[in-house]
Amino acid sequence: MSASSPSPRPSETSGDATVATLLGWIVPGAGHLYLGRQTVALAGFVVVTGLYLLGLKLSGGMGFEFLHAELRGPLAPALAPELGFLGGLVYQMKAYGFGPGYPRPFPDLVFLGTTLTAAAGILNLCLTAQAHHDARRARAGGYSIQSPGVVAALAWFVPGLGHLVQGRKLRALLVFLAIVGLLVLGSGLAEGANLSRERHFYYWGGQFLGGLPAMLLEFVSGHPPITGDIPYAEGGLVIAAIGGLLNIMAMLDVYAVAERRAGVVAPAAVTDDKPAAKADLESLRLQPGEQEVSA
Amino acid sequence: MKDIGVHLLLFTVVAAAIVMLSAFFNEAEDGPALRALPRRLLYFFVGCGVLAGLMLLAEHTVASVN
Repeated sequence: MSASSPSPRPSETSGDATVATLLGWIVPGAGHLYLGRQTVALAGFVVVTGLYLLGLKLSGGMGFEFLHAELRGPLAPALAPELGFLGGLVYQMKAYGFGPGYPRPFPDLVFLGTTLTAAAGILNLCLTAQAHHDARRARAGGYSIQSPGVVAALAWFVPGLGHLVQGRKLRALLVFLAIVGLLVLGSGLAEGANLSRERHFYYWGGQFLGGLPAMLLEFVSGHPPITGDIPYAEGGLVIAAIGGLLNIMAMLDVYAVAERRAGVVAPAAVTDDKPAAKADLESLRLQPGEQEVSA
Repeated sequence: MKDIGVHLLLFTVVAAAIVMLSAFFNEAEDGPALRALPRRLLYFFVGCGVLAGLMLLAEHTVASVN
């Protein structure tokens, strides 16, 4: 694929982007299968579904039993990261739901299990975004570490890594410091009490968007016994959740730049009456022989 | 108001991160994004200040329980 090739006309693309996105959201890889990319479809299905099923196995399907009774409802898990894999979320709700209705002990690996189901949701979002991108470009073209879905997944896994892969080193450093800094600051203020999906189901989902640093923090200092008052518990919880949520903007940033470098942009973004957008696009395209855009 | 200094410091740290990420989101190039930071920070703090003022006003008038 030529990095500076013009955007393909709709008749040259592989399929309808909305259909590919919806299919991929429900069943991992289905969007790529619809687009005729069987290998990616199979790999995506195996990885995402495998992670989700392993997570269900390890957690005994009890992930949504973390929700307090007054919060339980048919749409209650819709704010969880598992929403990124709609088919998995619906299956979990149908097969396990909120449990038998009375408290029971959680399996030893419940936190690891629910982390895996959440990770499957995020990864499927990136896979689905890649399907949306693929549907809007010409049939020819492979995948690389610079592909939009890949850089978005990297940006989630380690804040700033997506920017680093794109050669935007200064931005990578600043994004990493800002997001990981907020996660560490918040966790320090809350003395680790924020790092528990059982205590803070929804806030945990926000923190989880911080990727590996959030997981490591939870592994190192999460789930502490609460033996006294923690003065800044709520403030730390909010700050850490903001840190994770801000990573969404970083993921969207790297995804948009990767799309522009691939020559695929929304039609409305580049028109004759929007010269600034057109100039912006041209400035982001890789030139022949150029490996990266300077930071 | 207890620990207002700590609260303001924490708010400043979080605000700086929010404004920086939003500047990066809006500007693809680092130069313009970093140059826009002071103006964006000013707008953010002024906006939050106005909002806080309105909330205090509402609390002491229409939402007063005394």
